[in-house]
Amino acid sequence: MIATVTARSAAETQSVAAALGRMLRAGDIVVLSGELGAGKTTFVQGVARALGVEEPVTSPTFTIVQEYDASVPIAHVDVYRLHHIQELHDFGFEEILEDRVVLIEWGDMVTPVLPRDRVDVHLEMDDDPETRLITIDAHGPQWAGRELVLDPR
Amino acid sequence: MLLLGIDTATRRVGVVLADEHGMLGRVELGGTSAAGPPRHAETLAPAIKWCMDQCGVEPEQLSAIAVGIGPGMFTGLRVGVTTAKVLAQSLRIPAIPVPSLDLLAYPLRHVSGALVVATIDARRHELYWAIYQPVPGGVQRLSEYELSNPDELVAELEARGQDAILCGDGVLRFPDVFTPLGRRAEIAGPAHASPSLAALAELARARYEREDFCAPEQVLPMYLRRSDAEIEWDRKAG
Repeated sequence: MIATVTARSAAETQSVAAALGRMLRAGDIVVLSGELGAGKTTFVQGVARALGVEEPVTSPTFTIVQEYDASVPIAHVDVYRLHHIQELHDFGFEEILEDRVVLIEWGDMVTPVLPRDRVDVHLEMDDDPETRLITIDAHGPQWAGRELVLDPR
Repeated sequence: MLLLGIDTATRRVGVVLADEHGMLGRVELGGTSAAGPPRHAETLAPAIKWCMDQCGVEPEQLSAIAVGIGPGMFTGLRVGVTTAKVLAQSLRIPAIPVPSLDLLAYPLRHVSGALVVATIDARRHELYWAIYQPVPGGVQRLSEYELSNPDELVAELEARGQDAILCGDGVLRFPDVFTPLGRRAEIAGPAHASPSLAALAELARARYEREDFCAPEQVLPMYLRRSDAEIEWDRKAG
C-alpha cells in the first residue's frame, strides 16, 4: 500500500504526518528515511501532535530514544549515532517495539532488525527548498485491510 | 546465613529471602495476567524493603545477593541485575548469579521419563529456551541457552524424540505451536510461568555453601541477542 504526496512547506509535511498519525495504533512502526534536512523530525512532530503530544518534539540524536505519553505511548528513536546493530539490542530495542507507536529516524539503516510489518516513510528534497516528495509505504499483515488515507485536514 | 534473591527476567518481579534452613519469605508482583507496561523499576525496591521488613531482616545481616540473570526481558533484567549489584557492592557481600531458565526447570526435577524444557518469551515471536533432564537432586542442562523462533524449538524436540514437559511464559505465549508434538509435549501451565523463587533460594544456598559466588561487578545479564553487524553509513553517504 503506497501513497505519494507532495508537500509544499514544512506545515504541509506536518499535515500529511498528522493524517498518518491519526491512523496509527500501539504496535505500529514508522521508519523515516531521507537525507539530513529532509524533514524526518518535522514529520515526527506532525505525527506526535496528531496523537496529542503537547511538549516540544526534537530529534533524540544523542539520547537515541525519547518516549512520550500520548493517546498512544510514543517512542521516538534516532539511530544516526549508532555504529553497530548490537547497540540496538543493548538498549532493549525489541521491547520498545511493543505496545507503542514507534517512529525511527534513519530506520532504513537498520531494516534487518525491524519487523516486516511497518510503514516506510521516505522524504525527498526537491529543487524548491520548501517542497518535499513524501512516499509512504505501509506493508505487512498488520496493514492488510487498513486504508491509507492521507488527506491533510 | 541470610540470602536475598531477585529475579526480574520476565514481567514478574520476584524477591525471596532465605536462610540455611530454607525460605523465609517471598514477594511476587506482575503475574502472567498483569496488564500494561512492566513495572520492574517502580516495584522492585519497595518489594525488597517490604519483604525484609516483614521477615525482620536488616540489610547488614545479608550474606549474599542471588540474582536471576536471564536470558529474558531486557528492561526487567537491567533493573534486577543493577539492583543486586548495587546492594552487594554497598554491603560488601558476594553475588550469586543464576540463569533464570535454570530456575524454571529446577521445580520440575521430579518429573520422570521426560525432558524439561524451560522457555522465556523473547518478544518478536522468539523464545529463550534450554533443555534439561532430571537427575538425582536437580536438573542437568543438555542444550546451550538458546534464542530462536518457537518452530525451531519444536524441530529440536521432534529430533530428540523424547517426551517433554514445557514450562515458562514463552510456551504459554505460543501454545498452539507445540500441538504438532501431540502427547509427547506437555505444557506445565501458569503455575510454572515464572522462574521459581523457591528454586533461587535453594540453588543459591547450595552455591553459597560451596563458596561458588563472585564479586558484584562480575555479574552480567545474559543477553543472547548478539550482532556484530555494522550499520553501513558509508553506503548511505555515497
